[in-house]
Amino acid sequence: MAKSPSEQTHLRESKPLNKAQNAAHPASSGIIALVRRELRALWRDPWQLALISYIPMLGILCLWWLFSAGLPRQLPVAIVDQDHSQLSRMLTRQLKANPVTEPRSFTDLSSAVAAMQQAQVYAVVVFPHDMKKDLLTGHKPTIDVRYNSQFLLVGKLLSSQIQLSLGDGLLQVAGIKQLMTGTPKSQVAVNLSPVKSQTTALFNRNNNYIGFLVPPVLVALWQLLSMLVMANSLNRELHLNAAQSEEGISNRLTEHFWPKVLAKILLFTPILMLQGGFILAWLYLYLALPFAGSLALLLFAQLIMLLVVWSLVLFIFVLMRDSARVISFCTALFAPAFAFMGITFPTHEMPQLAQWWRLIMPSSHYIESHVSVVSYGAAWPTLAQQLSSYWGFIGLLPLIYLLATKLLPMTVKAQAEAAEYDAVPLPTKGQ
Amino acid sequence: MNLWQLVLTELKAIVSDKAIAVTLFGGVLFYSVLYPLPYLHQVPTEQQLIVVDLDHSSLSRQLIRHADASAKIQVIGQVGSITEAKRFIETGKAHGLLVIPEGFRRDLLLGKGVTLSYGGDASYFLIYSAVAEGLVSAGMDAGKQVQLIGMLAQGKNPKEAEQNLNSLHLNSVPAFNPSLGYTPYVVPGLFLLILHQTLLIGTGILGAGQWRSRSYWQQVSPLQLVCGRILAFMLIYMVFTSFYVGYCYHWYKVSIQASFGLVALWLLPFLLATAAAGVAMSTLFTRRDLPTQVLLLISMPILFVSGFVWPIALIPEPLVLGSQIIPAVPAIMGMLELNQMGASWASVLPKWLQLWGLFVLFFGLAILGIKRRVRALAELNAS
Repeated sequence: MAKSPSEQTHLRESKPLNKAQNAAHPASSGIIALVRRELRALWRDPWQLALISYIPMLGILCLWWLFSAGLPRQLPVAIVDQDHSQLSRMLTRQLKANPVTEPRSFTDLSSAVAAMQQAQVYAVVVFPHDMKKDLLTGHKPTIDVRYNSQFLLVGKLLSSQIQLSLGDGLLQVAGIKQLMTGTPKSQVAVNLSPVKSQTTALFNRNNNYIGFLVPPVLVALWQLLSMLVMANSLNRELHLNAAQSEEGISNRLTEHFWPKVLAKILLFTPILMLQGGFILAWLYLYLALPFAGSLALLLFAQLIMLLVVWSLVLFIFVLMRDSARVISFCTALFAPAFAFMGITFPTHEMPQLAQWWRLIMPSSHYIESHVSVVSYGAAWPTLAQQLSSYWGFIGLLPLIYLLATKLLPMTVKAQAEAAEYDAVPLPTKGQ
Repeated sequence: MNLWQLVLTELKAIVSDKAIAVTLFGGVLFYSVLYPLPYLHQVPTEQQLIVVDLDHSSLSRQLIRHADASAKIQVIGQVGSITEAKRFIETGKAHGLLVIPEGFRRDLLLGKGVTLSYGGDASYFLIYSAVAEGLVSAGMDAGKQVQLIGMLAQGKNPKEAEQNLNSLHLNSVPAFNPSLGYTPYVVPGLFLLILHQTLLIGTGILGAGQWRSRSYWQQVSPLQLVCGRILAFMLIYMVFTSFYVGYCYHWYKVSIQASFGLVALWLLPFLLATAAAGVAMSTLFTRRDLPTQVLLLISMPILFVSGFVWPIALIPEPLVLGSQIIPAVPAIMGMLELNQMGASWASVLPKWLQLWGLFVLFFGLAILGIKRRVRALAELNAS
């Protein structure tokens, strides 16, 4: 098979890394050959190629595009004006002036409610009959506001913005009243609101949803991709004909198992780091989201996370040793990673069980470093301290070694026995 | 083989296949516990707040006590400067800060305005909004009290003073999800998505494992096979859906507005369209480990494009239009409108018809796909 240029560049890139590993590993002489073997396998598997090339690109860009509006703007709000006074029109204009709300007039309440039930508007504001008259005569009229809290994010935002707009409009009315009673103008503003408040969003200063939501979503996607790439590559070893060998490398599972795993890590780590780097470059260099720390730190944190993902997948692989089960188990473990990151719902409000489950997922460790580097501009010492939270995974390594030495020979034996019955093992051709 | 024998054979094939059984039975049960697990406490309360009190007066201390009394805020301590407070936030010990300026009480009593500053960590929106809400209400309260004292001092009648302060009542109430809880927000949409994804994976694995070998699937006509397979999965998913929509919705305190009949009527085309889509999609695969991977990767985009996390009005039009072909997208939105927001059947009818349309489309595609597979297998055997 002819080698493509891209394949050769990959080989060249991975050489310096190999040299460093050579000194440490006893079976190192064949490590380059093993990496070549992985490359050939990768080249022949269209799904694996898709997983490292266009799927991440499409996924990252689509998810970003989905949230690309960034700031919720012009959310439709139903106005039912039963008062038809100068005051109610002034308050409607007040709502129109707010960038978040876009008032839509409804003549009766029932049609406004129906529109809200169909999610065409996200809130209903009712100005009652005789509102202005009641206000002037000292009766206390009530403005009813209903917001759609089934869509929690939109509902909460609208609730605070509508209150802000209406409150501001009403202050103007009260100001006129004070002026009429002869209060000096300079005193009116202070009388109305003696305590002003200034609310500042620290770090994500303009409350941008891209900066808030997109990084954890993309990290969750990246974790899924890394898991799948490694699981597929390991699963491939299960389907090879143990009796055959390929360019002098035996296809038997137990033969050179650790060098083979090392070769996979050497090949896939740079590829996945490229994807991780692309996410960071897209968000913080191209889109220029606010960024306080240094990208190099984040890349390092990504590398550690990737190595932990590898070891988790390897653990599940030696435990299950069946391709469908490895994939299902990894899926079950990693699919809910986003919910457990603690970005949308704060970590310290989760039940204890959820907090423990959260620690199993590498992404929740990474996202803490991500937030502290991006928002707080954390430096090496903080990062090192955060990375130490991975310590529990170190215990996984001897466990993997133990299970691999105990269980893998069993699988090989079982496969050999099965091979005596059906002559041909499963082909690994894609789709 | 008549249809019922076929359904029975299908059910046997599903249950005896470990990968499918684990995904369907294990996955549906496991996810019903795991996904809502982080959200069980519903609302963030008692967020840690650090106070920078530069005034040290009776009023500033009262304000701090008021803030602490708010259910959303817990004051963890006082520091001397804003930089120190920022350190607390960066190390995660506090999530917000309150600055009371120097001369706070004196300025208020002299009738000059003062400004309180609140800061919250907007890297976490839910925490930020909780801190801001708690502090704004505490600050407004303090302001009102000062105003009241001022007015009483000017010799106003207490009742009139009270009325001057609150001349108009703003009655802002959440509709539909009255507790503003997180599980009633996430669970209805998410659980339909879990049903959708597991059903697609189940049909996908079953098909992908069969197309390359002869078995019962090519002894019946493609039409019969599609009907039998959809029926078999419908039988299983009727149980799962009842468990999710009946029991789990109740357990996770989801507000329910529609009647049983309407919900069942709504879910029928959803399950049919999803099962048909699964069979149609399965004819694209011959590797059993691929359906799970593909569906795993697209589940997050489907969740976000379905429009209950991020408002549809803000999602780019092409994405919204393109996603209409996924049964879960109209099903989730329609279910929320019908069951959580109490819309009338007439208003969700277009989406219901859309689901039936998707069912017809995928049913046709499934038959075409299986015909292709029959031919491919015949060619494989002939060569």
